[in-house]
Amino acid sequence: MRRALTRSAVASAFMRSFLIQGSWNYHTMLGSGFAFSMLPALKSLYGSEPDAMDAAVQRHLEHFNAHPYLAGVALGAALKLEAEGADPELVRRFKLAVRGPLGSLGDGLVWAAWLPGASVLALALYWMGLPGWWAAAVFLVVYNVGHIGLRFWGFRVGLSEGQLVGRRLERANLARWTERLKGGVALLVGLLVGALLAGDGGLAASGVLWTVLAACAFLAGLIIGHRAWRPAAVTVVAAITILAAVGALG
Amino acid sequence: MSIVLYRVDERLIHGQVVIGWGHQLRPDRYIVVDDELSASEWEQDLYRLGSGDVDVLFSTADEARDRLPEWQASKLRSILLTRETSTMRRLAEGRLMDGEHVNLGGLRHGPGRAEVLTYLHLNDDDVRDLEAMAAAGVDVTARDLPDAHKVSLETLSKSRWKSSS
Amino acid sequence: MEIIQLSLLGGLLALDGTSVGQFMFSRPLVAGALVGWLLGDPLTGVAVGTILELYLLVSFPTGGSRFPEGATATVVAVAATAVTDSAGALPLAVAVGLVWGQLAGLSVTLMRQLNSRLVPEPGQRSSSPRDIWTAHLGAVLVDFARGALVTFLGVIVGRAIVGGLQGPWALSPAGSVGLLLVGGAASVGILLRDLGGFRRRRTVFVAGVALGIIGARFL
Repeated sequence: MRRALTRSAVASAFMRSFLIQGSWNYHTMLGSGFAFSMLPALKSLYGSEPDAMDAAVQRHLEHFNAHPYLAGVALGAALKLEAEGADPELVRRFKLAVRGPLGSLGDGLVWAAWLPGASVLALALYWMGLPGWWAAAVFLVVYNVGHIGLRFWGFRVGLSEGQLVGRRLERANLARWTERLKGGVALLVGLLVGALLAGDGGLAASGVLWTVLAACAFLAGLIIGHRAWRPAAVTVVAAITILAAVGALG
Repeated sequence: MSIVLYRVDERLIHGQVVIGWGHQLRPDRYIVVDDELSASEWEQDLYRLGSGDVDVLFSTADEARDRLPEWQASKLRSILLTRETSTMRRLAEGRLMDGEHVNLGGLRHGPGRAEVLTYLHLNDDDVRDLEAMAAAGVDVTARDLPDAHKVSLETLSKSRWKSSS
Repeated sequence: MEIIQLSLLGGLLALDGTSVGQFMFSRPLVAGALVGWLLGDPLTGVAVGTILELYLLVSFPTGGSRFPEGATATVVAVAATAVTDSAGALPLAVAVGLVWGQLAGLSVTLMRQLNSRLVPEPGQRSSSPRDIWTAHLGAVLVDFARGALVTFLGVIVGRAIVGGLQGPWALSPAGSVGLLLVGGAASVGILLRDLGGFRRRRTVFVAGVALGIIGARFL
């Protein structure tokens, strides 16, 4: 049975998708957040049918996980499927199939490229001499243009394609965009390194010793990856603690 | 031998498989054996999205039984995935997978399934499937990621018996 | 009163970290500027925020919790820096912030375990829309309270530690920043590796370094 989806129901699902991680948990992950986001829309679809409403609420409480910004793809598509009166089994299978790709595509695009890109750009500008609050503003604006744009695009694509959204995502080729973006971010990382080496508040002012040690830490990170983070941070924290103790005793 | 990993994982192609196992085993393709999925194009589109540049082949269990020797002998390195223990059991019948290893990587959903490991929930049918595989010469163990601890079928059956009693 | 304001800000920024929106006000760069502005010392806020941002370049919420929690680390560090004029205040406060950020990450993990018990169980008819609404927004509220509380305790502990800093500090201000940048440099290296590694990205990376040096010298 086809049911009408009101504009306000769609809008509220989109707005609520900003809170989809509000009850993040190890049991159903985004399951409760997904159901929460769907509630007003489900009410508008099934308001007069308590049993259908109940069943719909239960199926959207199920375990779900995705990148938060791309969860809207699944949310939009689920809305379309519910409005079309799709078989509940189809809805369930759609959500099972879509969570993996929405997670890995979003992690690659946002967490591994867009966020560090915006952050590194702002930091490079800061060490080139841009006042810090301007750097923070640049970061927020650049990052959120992409962030909110991606959420909006994903939700709309899901809403218009339903369970066929895989083909649309394939055509959008997010993986290739991610790859290109990573090349751009590598340029910005270079920019940051240059600014740290030569900028006023950077290593040029700190002296040769710190520059050499920083270069070693950089190489360690480059060669062994994430395993280098903790030893580097612990060493710095320990050095500061010792300096404070020596100052206090001496 | 060029099926480099046989894995039962209801999530099929996802981060743990593509990043965790894929980066280590460098497969040329994923083979997903599932009767329902091999008839459903839109679901295939979705699962393909997660595989990066690696090809994905969908096959029914019957077709897979016919082609298993060919895949095993092929130069292409494959990771073979099923989302049910029963599908993997069908492949192993008649000692088609004699001497191979099956990796249990993730099962949560399903009637009567009880937690055996954080990522692995099994019901009585699952356990019977796994024992049948073992009887057909397959070495069955559980491990979510390549660096994680490997758990033997014997240990799994014991903790399954404990958790259900 | 100031500590109440800081705690509330810590709570709001904690929400931005995962539960609400993720507009990334919670990144140290932004959080540092905000706390600095709140305390009337924007320069210190920015100095601490940019350094912690470097440390957190490779710490993203893929699935689990973030270690360290950047927003809490930043609020604690900026608030602690402001208590003394000692040249060692900034590095010591950043160190305290990094350690406290680990505790904050742990508190996120604990909260999520609590959420696992509180969220409505799928497939059980007993969970009505109202229950879901209450549980979900309740969890958001708990996250806010968690962020505020962890910040509150962190500010007290951080100010006590940094305020107790007696005696001379062996490094110049620039030397202190240099020491802190050593840890940050590891993150930058890790990030370049994650982006494909030096060999694959060397052309753009080296071009970037050259542009960065030119930019820093002449802008």
